[in-house]
Amino acid sequence: MLKQTPSSTASTASAPPVKGKPGKADRRWRRFVAVLLALATVLTMSYAAVGIYIATQVEVMPRMPLTTTPASFGLQYKDVTFPSRGDGLQLKGWFIPGVLPNGHLTSQRTIIVLHGNVANRADSGPGILRFSSDLAHRGFAILAFDFRGAGESADAPRSLSYLEQYDALGAVDFLRSGTLPYPELGRPHAIAGWGLSLGGATLIRAASQEPAIQAIVSDCAFADALPILEREIPKGGHLPAAFTPGGLVAYQALYGVNFYDDRPVDVIASIAPRPILLIHGTLDDYTVPSNMATLAVAARSAPNANVQTWLVPGAKHAGSYNVEGKVYVDRLVAFYTAALGPDTSGS
Amino acid sequence: MSTHSINETSVPAQEPSSQLRGSVKRGVWTGLIPLALLAVFVAIALVTTAIARQLVADSGFAVQGQVALINLAAGLILAIAVFAVAVWRVLRRVALWQQIGESVQAKATLWTLTATALIIVVPVLLAVLLPQSPAP
Repeated sequence: MLKQTPSSTASTASAPPVKGKPGKADRRWRRFVAVLLALATVLTMSYAAVGIYIATQVEVMPRMPLTTTPASFGLQYKDVTFPSRGDGLQLKGWFIPGVLPNGHLTSQRTIIVLHGNVANRADSGPGILRFSSDLAHRGFAILAFDFRGAGESADAPRSLSYLEQYDALGAVDFLRSGTLPYPELGRPHAIAGWGLSLGGATLIRAASQEPAIQAIVSDCAFADALPILEREIPKGGHLPAAFTPGGLVAYQALYGVNFYDDRPVDVIASIAPRPILLIHGTLDDYTVPSNMATLAVAARSAPNANVQTWLVPGAKHAGSYNVEGKVYVDRLVAFYTAALGPDTSGS
Repeated sequence: MSTHSINETSVPAQEPSSQLRGSVKRGVWTGLIPLALLAVFVAIALVTTAIARQLVADSGFAVQGQVALINLAAGLILAIAVFAVAVWRVLRRVALWQQIGESVQAKATLWTLTATALIIVVPVLLAVLLPQSPAP
């Protein structure tokens, strides 16, 4: 890089330093370097500033108000509050006891219900509460709660399962050691999960580190959050895609969420041998059906994997339950019963 | 005899080359000062942002987000300021070296600063050039 001419070597080595004005070329080079550094700094810092702006925009998550309760489906329920595992963030939800054919209540088999992005535990679009009530009427207790930053739970940045997994783990802790909403029913004997979209991805991550979750149903989950962000951030911000990495790095610096590590596909194999049911709609254009295929391949890579898949014809994103209705519920009841065993509280 | 003649010719040549190497080394080290300071201050900004976020975690996310944003922005502005001052001082030193004829040292510093400018834009270049795989 640095070339030394023989004459200048000689002057440095043998001749004493000569005081004098630096030449025009020297001044010009200094100015050039100064301008180059200024341009580089302005360019990079502008990029960082846009990245920080993107991060603050991605973080904004509109809340959907709760407009209904399980009572409107003829169910008993109790409001519950429990902390997320780790950071202790307060989460609000409902505990809905299962209803046995003889009318008795039960909490023996409890399903943790996890909603999607920008939604809540009663999201009417995909019919989350309706689905929860269907399961409750079939003898499964339900713990449905709002993720951080959603519904009535505490404020938090959007994290697409990176932090929500701790909310799901907090739900498991609550069921195992929290204050019983129905003490007369006792603690659940078996815990399983159902998650929709973000909830499905969250459930995969939570189950991969919590063996108490004995079976999972993940409906239209993403295998990797990054491609979705790389599509949605430029679309939402009307910015070139080149700004997306800056936004994601700034997001990590500001909120501690590393979207580059938001990959349920990397951990799903560790759920084995517990059963997994992956569901996806053929018309899902938000998280395309190839996500399910990717997750299934990864899950089946475990030697003792127990993985089922169900591609629902004609279903859009988060629309499988709406399309299949009773067939969806029957299939899930059969899946959970096979995984958790029958309810014995009535016998 | 032949060894003696080699020594006679090599000794005078070694002195200037070691001086040259010393000058280049000093010039490069001086040129690296702004980049090193920038890296240290950016790292401090990131670490203090993470710490600040943890410290105010109990105050709720609204406060936490604001504190993290202010901390990071202030930290980056401070880093730029420190970098600018360091560059200015190094360029003044270069001018002085050019005045007293230390041209090798001055050139080494200027080349290092030029490389610094390129290093600073590397994150932007990576963001532009590295392929992304957006979902369909």
